[in-house]
Amino acid sequence: MTSLQFLWVVAVAQGILLVALIILIILNRWFRVRRSARLQPRRQALDAVMQRWTMGQAPAAEVVQALARLPVSLAVDALVTWSARVPGERWQDLSRVLATQWWARVVRTNNRSARWWKRLECARFLSVAATPHDIGRVLRLLRDDHPAVQIAAATTLERLTSPILVTAALDQLPFLGPTVQAYYASALKKARPAVVRHLQQLFGRPDDPRLPRIIEFAGRLEHPDLRAPFTALATHRDPEVRSQVARALGKYPHADSVAALRLLARDGIWPVRAQAIRSLGMIADPATVQLVRDALRDGDWWVRLRAGLALTRFGASGRNVLLAVEVGAHQPSRDMARLVLGLSPQALAEYAA
Amino acid sequence: MSAVIHGGDLAILLFFLVLNSFYALLLVLSIPEIWEQTRLAEDEDFQRLMQSDALPPITILVPAHNESATIEASVTAILTLEYRNFEIIVVNDGSKDDTLERLRNAFDLYEVPRTYPETIATKPLRALYRSRTRTRLLVLDKENGGKADSLNAAINASRFPLVIAVDADTLIEPDALLRLTRPFLLGRHIAAVGGTVRVANGCTVKDGRVTDARVPGRFLPGVQVVEYLRAFLFGRLGWNRLGGSLVISGAFGLFRKEYLHAIGGYRTASVVEDLDLVVRLHRHLREHKQRYEIPFIPDPVAWTEVPESARILSRQRERWHRGLIASMWQYKGMLFNPRYGRVGLIAMPFFAFGEMLAPLVEVVGYVITLGGLLLGAVNTNFALLFVLVAWGYGMLLSLWAVVLEEVSFQRYHRFGDLGRLLLFATLENFGYRQRTVWWRVQAFWSVFRQKQAWGEMTRKGFESAGKQAIEPATTRRTDAQG
Repeated sequence: MTSLQFLWVVAVAQGILLVALIILIILNRWFRVRRSARLQPRRQALDAVMQRWTMGQAPAAEVVQALARLPVSLAVDALVTWSARVPGERWQDLSRVLATQWWARVVRTNNRSARWWKRLECARFLSVAATPHDIGRVLRLLRDDHPAVQIAAATTLERLTSPILVTAALDQLPFLGPTVQAYYASALKKARPAVVRHLQQLFGRPDDPRLPRIIEFAGRLEHPDLRAPFTALATHRDPEVRSQVARALGKYPHADSVAALRLLARDGIWPVRAQAIRSLGMIADPATVQLVRDALRDGDWWVRLRAGLALTRFGASGRNVLLAVEVGAHQPSRDMARLVLGLSPQALAEYAA
Repeated sequence: MSAVIHGGDLAILLFFLVLNSFYALLLVLSIPEIWEQTRLAEDEDFQRLMQSDALPPITILVPAHNESATIEASVTAILTLEYRNFEIIVVNDGSKDDTLERLRNAFDLYEVPRTYPETIATKPLRALYRSRTRTRLLVLDKENGGKADSLNAAINASRFPLVIAVDADTLIEPDALLRLTRPFLLGRHIAAVGGTVRVANGCTVKDGRVTDARVPGRFLPGVQVVEYLRAFLFGRLGWNRLGGSLVISGAFGLFRKEYLHAIGGYRTASVVEDLDLVVRLHRHLREHKQRYEIPFIPDPVAWTEVPESARILSRQRERWHRGLIASMWQYKGMLFNPRYGRVGLIAMPFFAFGEMLAPLVEVVGYVITLGGLLLGAVNTNFALLFVLVAWGYGMLLSLWAVVLEEVSFQRYHRFGDLGRLLLFATLENFGYRQRTVWWRVQAFWSVFRQKQAWGEMTRKGFESAGKQAIEPATTRRTDAQG
């Protein structure tokens, strides 16, 4: 074959491909428009039935019937959307009815599918329609390789309280990225009693490398049973643990918390000091004003900022301290006091967050 | 002479064979990528996400220089984005117009002291302002130092771990931030993430939002719609599977702030600061052996206005290419350097030899072919067929981008828009492509003359609420401001 012949072959192949692509684009558009026209009335019908069922004017069977008329992916979408608007008990009734539906059974079996999007669909479905019989499936999905599946499965914890699932999710928590951790934490908050029991066991292992992340999560729960374990960890050798403890203790206004925070406010590591001072500001015990005032002389800018902001939470006494420091001799404290006094209430609220 | 022409032709043929094979590879790799991204985008539960406190807080950086006409609408639109926890830092970069006054009046600004250390050196700040009506807003007023300098000042002032740089004249879709954070929610080690930038010309814009996406009827902006689709939907998606692109659009990219601090922020001397930043980010993270990804995800969308006149477009393309040449030269140590993994062995060579040198090779190809034809050293049929095949391949790539758009996001609902997309994808290779090649070749000349100044950019401004009329020239960008 000469080079000219080769080029002709390429040119003809390209031409065919170009025409094929144009036909594909037009057919795809035409198919989509038709599909949308076919499904739109069914979607509207489902919304109408859901609306009536929510108000108690239609039986769950009617909803299930309308769901069955939609493709599975759209039915799952509709369930996820509506689940947020319907009270829990009523929704559980629907979950029970759905358990017997053929399409729902097919979706459930997808938890073992080799295709991640099928498993994701299953996890999304179970996140709104799981029953106690699904615990094994959810457990499997929580340990899935695909992060999107894990995330969807974690959402199930909001509706399905099970110590097995809580333990599995908590064990995974420290190994997750910060954003995913926060997402798991928000789901786990709903299953508080089981979570607190498991956390207390985990706090009993001070050498566990997962401890900082576990404390970070536990701090979000603000459960009274967790205060004692937090104060016990204030002298832990890992600064990350001390820092997380210092942060968490701000949510426990108690004499033991203040004692632990006094200790942490003199820590050698500045992030620990900054968190301790912040927490002292949150508790706002008048006996600690002097300690927070001293922190305004800290060598680290962030600790001084935290001290300045903390003083604003002590009311008039804290403000008087700031006003006095503003005209004092120590330049860095003076600058910080001036800065904090110049902040608007909104800015202060934002910084305190 | 004939041997030289044949040798040249062969070399150029080989160059285009390798380059086009690589494009074909990107094309193939973009298929599973868009499939995965579309599935994830469709299955995302935004209601639940919005209620969750898991969303990482984001600082939106908005550099503004002489943006008086659009700044109020732009900031208002950004303030109404669907995201739970974000702040906006607008940097008035020594504007000569009343940009700051407009902001002051619109958002009831009052001066506040600086509450952060300056970690990246910038031009001096004149003042900081907070808003009485919008607590999320912080305005920095500083001396003119250019876009990179403004972004650095905003990075210094930002409080959150993720920052996104947005041009003051870019329209971000309401759910774009939610979508951009998806890779973080999937637990990946993300250093930066880029979204899609689409062409706003011809679209209906209401209250700072694109309410009706259209493909413009005019040739220049219309053909750029296809260009943008090609660049974002198949180019960058393909790169996701090859270790990450070197480009995250400066108009719409989310970065982890700690890494920006580590590399000293944006380089003020750079002509194209976004390319420079991403290359340095790759370099830093590879040198420090950190696990990271810099992915592109297609569904978060920002809309931007593209030049409608050849004069302005030529300046833009010349500047982009000049920036590419400068970056490739600056970071030539990464080229074919195994220390930088796939970035050094695949991305940098592609950008250096494929993107940077391609216009030169194409021009040389045209010259040699014409010379050969005039001297009778090249077979006329062969030459014509070769050019036809080269252009046909370009058309295939453009049409493929349209296919990806159609099977995934389908922003252009009307059949008329689809027809225009197909038309521009076909016509792009006849005249437009050659002009862009010429503009990019001019960049080599500019680099040779060590031209540093930026071209003047004139934008028309978006449509005012609910009407199609284009406003007269409102935004003027000069010198240091891009």
